[in-house]
Parts: sequence; C-alpha cells; structure tokens
Amino acid sequence: MFILLFLEKKLQMTNNDYHPLPQPHELTEREKEDAMGAYLMMFAALATSLPLPVINLIAAIVYYYVNRKKGRFIHFHCLQSLLSQLPTTLVNWGLLYWALQIFFFKNFEVNDYFYAYLGFSIVANLIYFIFSIAAAIRARKGVFMYFIFFGPYAYQRVYATQNSLVYENEQPPANAKQNLNKPPF
Amino acid sequence: MKLNITYQERYSRLELLLRFIFGVFYIALPHAFLLFFLGLWGAILGFIAFIVILFTGRYPESMFIYQVQLLRWRLRLNARLSNLSDGYPAFGLESTDEYTSLEVSYPERISRGLTLVRLFFGIFYVSLPHGFILFFRVLWGIILSIYAFISVLFTAKFHKGAHTFLVETIRWNYRVLLYMGNMTDVYPPFSGKETANDQ
Repeated sequence: MFILLFLEKKLQMTNNDYHPLPQPHELTEREKEDAMGAYLMMFAALATSLPLPVINLIAAIVYYYVNRKKGRFIHFHCLQSLLSQLPTTLVNWGLLYWALQIFFFKNFEVNDYFYAYLGFSIVANLIYFIFSIAAAIRARKGVFMYFIFFGPYAYQRVYATQNSLVYENEQPPANAKQNLNKPPF
Repeated sequence: MKLNITYQERYSRLELLLRFIFGVFYIALPHAFLLFFLGLWGAILGFIAFIVILFTGRYPESMFIYQVQLLRWRLRLNARLSNLSDGYPAFGLESTDEYTSLEVSYPERISRGLTLVRLFFGIFYVSLPHGFILFFRVLWGIILSIYAFISVLFTAKFHKGAHTFLVETIRWNYRVLLYMGNMTDVYPPFSGKETANDQ
C-alpha cells in the first residue's frame, strides 16, 4: 500500500517539483565528508565494542538528526543510510535472537533452517557493507548513489519542493511561515 | 593547541564551600550524566574518523569540531571541580566560558602512517612515558589542590605556583589526548608549558 501510494505520488510529480541536484564542484569538502560519515555509522557497534545490531541503528538515527539540516546533499545521504540500515538490523536481530535461544537458553537446536538463515544474514550483511562502502566513496566525491527502493524515496523526501525543512546552507523558502507570533488582541 | 585557565586575583570562599559540600550533586552529576552520552558519541565519531583518516588522510571537520567542543566542556567542568575557576560551568557543546579556553587548529592533513603507528605502538611511545610522569604530577596536583583549598578558604587567594602547576598538568594531559585521538600529528612535549607549537 505504502509503495503504491509512493509510486502514484511520484508519477504525479514532474521535474519542476524537485530542487536541482548539486554537482560535485558545487559541494564543499565538509558537506562531502558529512555525507560520507552517514554510511560509516555501520561501524558504530565496533567503536562501542558492543555486538548489538541496534547500536548501528541508534548511531545512524543520531547522525541523521544531528546533520540533516546542514544541507540537502547531507540530508539525502543520511536518510538513505538510515533507511538502508533498517532491514539489515532486523535480519541481525533475528539471528541474534535465534542464536541466543539455541546456545544460551537451550530452547531450540541447531538445524538446517538456522544454517540457511545464517547464510542469508551473512549475504545480506555483505551486500549492505559493499553498497555502503561504495556509497561512502561516492559521497566523498560528491556523487549520488541511489540504493534500490531507499534511494528514490530519499530523493523524493529531500529534493522535492514540498520538503519544508530549512537548511543551514540555503536561504529560507519564501513561503516559510515567519509571522507565527501574534498579539493577544 | 592553546589551553588556558584564567588565574583570578580573588576566589569566592562561599562558592568553594558550596562546591566542596554539594558540588557532586549540582555540578558533577548533571554534567557527568550528559558527558557520558556525549562521550559515547565522541568515541563512535573518533573511531569513524580513524577509518576516514586511513583512507583519505583527513580528519572530517565536523567530527573534529565536535571533539574540540567536547574537550572544552570537560575542561570547564574540570576547572570547577579542581577549584581552579569560580562560577558554574555552562552546559552545551557550543557554550563559551569566561575563565577557560581551548583552541585546537584544524589540521588539513593527518598522517596515515602515524595513525597506524599510534594504533599499534601508541601505548609504548606515548601512553606509557607520558602516563608515568603524569601519574606523579597528578599525585602532586592532589596535594597542591588541598593546599590551595585551604589557602582560598582563609585568604581568598589561590597560590599562583599551584595554579600554574595544575593548569600545566591539564594542558599536558590534553596534548596527549589530542595526539592519541588522531587530532594532531605533533608529538606531545614532556612539559605542560606553552610552547612555540601552540598556535
């Protein structure tokens, strides 16, 4: 349902409904570095030495909220990185839960399904890792890389003219509500 | 790096007593609570910056600024907890302080080779020699702090020599932290005095 609604909305929009994409030479080094940093949040669990899949997700969320207003380019990469981390985190949580049930609580036994899921998790993490590194390298160069599903959504969310977020490196839009405070009478 | 804690001509005795009796509740605990989480975030950013340096030779500027702001906050907290400054340390990463200052110039390049050397051998050529001397400096600093406490309590004056010694110990410690945190390639001198390298 969500995907259908998104596609329908996307079809209704024309190129005029989006802000132009910045070219690499128009971006500052700092913007490129901040965008790259979003993908490197996958190493957060290593930094804290806690093997919990949720650490990376929390780090990505914190990074997103700290940096999203710095610029559209940064916002796009932070959002794409955050969204792409969700499925991997869920898969890893599933694996952690299953492994704890087997090896710690002794509620289940190791079977072929577990091995299949383990293999699936490894492949999913590898794909996520490779794509994130590739996206980080491209972001460092000021180039966009769109992940399947998440890339178009992040683009739609950030570069659509409907996006009312005010960025630090842009002038506030003309339709920004300035006169919110009014006298009582 | 430029670190300074202003020497005051007179110190408040009332504030000294307040800090001594209730300081843990109204200064240490609220600041430590926030700094714990911010420090955790700083550790994550420090680790990511390490990876970035290995591949690009640059410390990401935003992360660098965050680390400096965090160090500034710790400095103004430490200055109050060790009675080197009066007043209440401001909350917030972007807050400024009347009595303490820390300036760290942003390095355009950080040596990748040195970053690896620090990782593998830093404990031997930085942490151990500097830690050994700093350990005894801190011990002497505690004795001086007790002396200064009594001095401020009765005369409202902090012994100038003790103040200088304590500030130099903190400066020395911060230089080691910056070097080990890959924020500078300048090896910390075995001294807390201001040097020609301080920009």
